[in-house]
Amino acid sequence: MARLILGRLPALLGVLLALTFVVYLIDAVVPANPVAASLGAGASHAQIVAKEHQLGYDKPFYAQYWRFLERVAHGDLGTSLRTHNTVASDLGRFAPATLELALWSGVLIIGLSLVLGVWSASGVRGAGLVRAVMAGSASTPTFLASIALILIFYSKLHLLPPSGRTSSGEATGLVILEDFFSGKFNGMVGAIEHVIMPAFVVAVGPAVAIGRVLRGSLLEQMRQDHIRTARSKGMGELSIIVRHALRNSATPVLAMAGLQMGLVLTGVIVVETVFAWPGLGLYASASLVNSDFPAVIGVTLVLGAAYVVINAVVDVLQLLADPRLREAR
Amino acid sequence: MKATASLPSPERSAGLLRAFGRGRRLAGRRPASFSALARTERVALWAAAIGLLLAMLSPGFAPHGPTTLVGVPLSPPSGAHLLGTDDQGRELLARILYGVRTSVLSAAVVIASGVIIGGVIGLIAGIAGGIVDAILMRVTDLFLALPGPLLVLAIVGALGPSLKHTLIGVAIVWWPWYARVVRGQARATMALPHVEAARLAGLSRLRIALVHVLPSSFGPVVVTASLDVGNVILLLASLSFLGLGSPDPASELGSMTARGLTYLFTNWNVAVLPAAAVFILVFIANFAGDAIRDLVDG
Repeated sequence: MARLILGRLPALLGVLLALTFVVYLIDAVVPANPVAASLGAGASHAQIVAKEHQLGYDKPFYAQYWRFLERVAHGDLGTSLRTHNTVASDLGRFAPATLELALWSGVLIIGLSLVLGVWSASGVRGAGLVRAVMAGSASTPTFLASIALILIFYSKLHLLPPSGRTSSGEATGLVILEDFFSGKFNGMVGAIEHVIMPAFVVAVGPAVAIGRVLRGSLLEQMRQDHIRTARSKGMGELSIIVRHALRNSATPVLAMAGLQMGLVLTGVIVVETVFAWPGLGLYASASLVNSDFPAVIGVTLVLGAAYVVINAVVDVLQLLADPRLREAR
Repeated sequence: MKATASLPSPERSAGLLRAFGRGRRLAGRRPASFSALARTERVALWAAAIGLLLAMLSPGFAPHGPTTLVGVPLSPPSGAHLLGTDDQGRELLARILYGVRTSVLSAAVVIASGVIIGGVIGLIAGIAGGIVDAILMRVTDLFLALPGPLLVLAIVGALGPSLKHTLIGVAIVWWPWYARVVRGQARATMALPHVEAARLAGLSRLRIALVHVLPSSFGPVVVTASLDVGNVILLLASLSFLGLGSPDPASELGSMTARGLTYLFTNWNVAVLPAAAVFILVFIANFAGDAIRDLVDG
């Protein structure tokens, strides 16, 4: 186990380094000249050269990249042009809400994809309908799903709040869990009402994609000899799937789960924007619209690093689920 | 959203390879014919063809221009304005028709650039082999390991929001899958006798690459691309929704939805109808993509 994880570390660091490099490149191509901007329009040529020297912009390319790395490693991501706070402190303020949204979306993704995959692969009643619903929701833009839910559950039925987030939960930012453990059940219900729609919208796309792969992989498993043996023993179809086919289907499912992470990230940004959920996505979209470039770079680095790390974890999970992959390496 | 959902897994690529390489001809199988497809797939292909035609011809029969002021702002759907008007008093139907055309053309641009960039890189890697192959494929893998859509946000953030910059951003991150498909196909084809014969005949590397190796990847690339259309439309619509597309007078379905959010509780049609248009487009594209895959794969 420890060796599996250690073995993945160099690749993980390499990809993280590549991420910082690509972000650095994007940072470097910004058309606006930061030196001229910081000095104002009346700066003389000599002043500009001096400032360039002071900020290190006259250094060679690799030295500038190294400086960028140093800054990132120290958590210095510059100052937001919009909020006038340091980007790092802004990110710290907005991250907990996104973490909570991601947590509950993750729970929904696992639950929904299992139900959808197993249901549509088993021959039980409604399997065709489930497939049709899956095909439909794979084509639904995140913003359409968000709007539709708001119109139905807020505007028509008055069941759920349309936007925002209850703001208790100071310690960890995970409002629902905190309220649960401190016995504040009213607060917990309010928090759940706020999170349920955004979390569902974030989850539904990946859940369907993973469910489809699970279905395909289960159907393939169901043709195997050991399944036929189980059937001839008289086991029920559902318990065959759960006991004998599910674990063997894990590899492609995990691969798809890793692939879906990139979409979860854009999904989170869109969903937080529609539901005014005060997380990194809302921060990112507000920064984008206001051309707040340091903030955009900061969010890209943080969410990008999260993506890379999660994919590395998925990689290790794949190795754990399938011993044959371990042999192959 | 499932931008990467339908991309071929390694196992599927192997399947494609078998289906489109020599295996099929040896086995005497022919590509499925149009009439052999399931009825839903035939319907999807017809819908895609008609939709494509409508989208391209929309300027011809849209009742008004997309920026013409035709009536009272936010008037509900009526005989005069089938889908109502937006907050400026522009005809919603006309704007959606133009938006559909923008979506389809943008997706075509992104996929074409993905095919070209990925194709060139994949072909070079597949033909050269050795160290060139190793380096190019490591770079490709690296790009696959990075969160593409997120980098697009940063790229467009750097260049400034506009449709052109969005397309450039997406094109930069959208080629790796195509590089992999073409490279795999090229490596497999390089091992076939006809390539060896061509080499013995003294043909130039370029000629071997273009005439004898490249054609074998047409099928897999067409399949990958047709399954990709829906995802690209979805991604571009989301980016436009976030305000990365061209600013207002331009009619993009995503940004139209975002503008309509202000009036969601009084005039839901302004926000919902452009978004529904995206849904219909992607739905048709996904089904047609499946049909095209079955047609090519047999």
